[in-house]
Amino acid sequence: MALYEKTAAELSKLIHSKECSAVDITNSIFERIEQTEDKVGAYLTLQAEKALIQAEQVDKKIENGESVSRLAGIPIGIKDNIITKGLLTTAGSKMLHNFVPPYDATVMNKIHDNDMVVIGKLNMDEFAMGSSTETSYFKKTHNPHDLTRVPGGSSGGSAAAVAAGSAVVALGSDTGGSIRQPSALCGVYGLKPTYGTVSRYGLIAFASSLDQIGPMGRCTEDVAMLYDVIKGHDIMEATSIKREYINFAENLKGDVKGLRIGIPKEFFTEGIDAEVRDCVMAEIEKFKNCGAEIVEVSLPSTKYGLSDYYIIACAEASSNLSRFDGVRYGYRTEKFDNILDLYTKTRSEGFGEEVKRRILLGTFVLSAEFYDAHYKRAKLLQNKIQNEFKSVFEKCDVLMTPTSPSVAFKLGEKVDDPLKMYAADALTVTTNIAGVPALSVPCGKNDAGLPIGLQIIGPKFSEEVLFKVSEYYEKNIGTAAKIADVK
Amino acid sequence: MMDVNRIAQLARIEVGEKDIQKLEKQMQDILLMVEDLPQIDEQENFLDEKNPMTLRKDEIRPSLKRDLLLQNAPKAIAGCIVVPKVVD
Repeated sequence: MALYEKTAAELSKLIHSKECSAVDITNSIFERIEQTEDKVGAYLTLQAEKALIQAEQVDKKIENGESVSRLAGIPIGIKDNIITKGLLTTAGSKMLHNFVPPYDATVMNKIHDNDMVVIGKLNMDEFAMGSSTETSYFKKTHNPHDLTRVPGGSSGGSAAAVAAGSAVVALGSDTGGSIRQPSALCGVYGLKPTYGTVSRYGLIAFASSLDQIGPMGRCTEDVAMLYDVIKGHDIMEATSIKREYINFAENLKGDVKGLRIGIPKEFFTEGIDAEVRDCVMAEIEKFKNCGAEIVEVSLPSTKYGLSDYYIIACAEASSNLSRFDGVRYGYRTEKFDNILDLYTKTRSEGFGEEVKRRILLGTFVLSAEFYDAHYKRAKLLQNKIQNEFKSVFEKCDVLMTPTSPSVAFKLGEKVDDPLKMYAADALTVTTNIAGVPALSVPCGKNDAGLPIGLQIIGPKFSEEVLFKVSEYYEKNIGTAAKIADVK
Repeated sequence: MMDVNRIAQLARIEVGEKDIQKLEKQMQDILLMVEDLPQIDEQENFLDEKNPMTLRKDEIRPSLKRDLLLQNAPKAIAGCIVVPKVVD
């Protein structure tokens, strides 16, 4: 088995026992990138030289007997909306085509403190707005399991890299499903953490009240280890929560006997492809055979989830993206007559179609005469959705649902129909609205070999339970994700 | 009904003549989707009281150097960002 095929947990053991070096691992990843990147197109920027220097430093530390983190020397890919000092950060937009950040996001400081090896920056939908990574200004990313299909989005580059073996783990961000949906479509594990547990300082903002950075990997333990690294309070971020955490990766073992699994009936309606529904239900049945209790529950406002999400997310996006005006950084139009002309031309030329649509929708719902009917109503509904989740978790410990209504769709299939594309997020958006954590776990494949994801949702701060259930499933019912062949 | 031209002007985005019809149709479809929200007679309570937002102390800490920040500016002269004249 080549080194790039191994999980972070396996590689960590090899590094610490000096059976292989961090440089060997990094080289193996770049060889894999050489083999697959032309076909998959996961990365926007690669930094081989710097990655090798980071790996050499880890090897030196180990040689000198210094104590290093479990993730030291593990290659990681970073979604391109996370600020990386000195490394081009575009958020998939022409608007930031030349932006080299002068500082690191808080999560990047933590990645560096743990001596992880940063391979490069991963493709994404422009400003994380999309569900297929096709709105990226720069390139299309292909699903490693079927190159004619999308990897999902917006963290499509992250999911594709992990699935193809061109990164061991990756960071993504999730505003309405952007970690979980691509994880499901590419057959990897991805966590959308509880809102406030991972600092957003240095995450290029889309919808600040919903955005959350999270880990992606090929097994539960890898995702837990990476979450252990990035979680925690940050004085640089006002919504970051002060709280004590356990080490999740060291507390993965558990049983599902007596676990109450809620099945929200609204997540299994006619909008979900039969092959996905049947596969997920069959896997849930297996939990029952292992001693879990299945409880049918209801989250009645789920049907309003997409509407609520698009109003809140676009309202916040229209405000957050007003900073892109061609003045201080990023793209600036070439010809302009006055300052208003500079703003308008820069924004019209710098933003892609989907971003413009969302800014316009956001501007509309925040405009004086429509604010009450749209934005205020959406925020009240958010409250209701949060309360529904709270009361559902009095009846069960976790919820299980499909992550995505379908397997990976064809490139170009939905790109001209925004509503069809938005529907891809139908099963993921309400957890962002409620601020609760959710983990997508690969749970099978359809007849064509395309991965299907099981979404495990828990109450706020229940990551420990999510990891334990996922680990139990992986070890006793399902499997860790295997590298895609990339044919 | 959304007046796309007016909203675009507010958002400082220019919509070309040939794109306006397509965009109007798309925005109309999106609005139809989002307009089905129910009327809710609840008190507003948007804060998570158990986990309140906290601001850091207002104290001096190291900040980024001007030269470094200006490296990303489209045009800078003498430590200042250059923009078109704003006042006559």
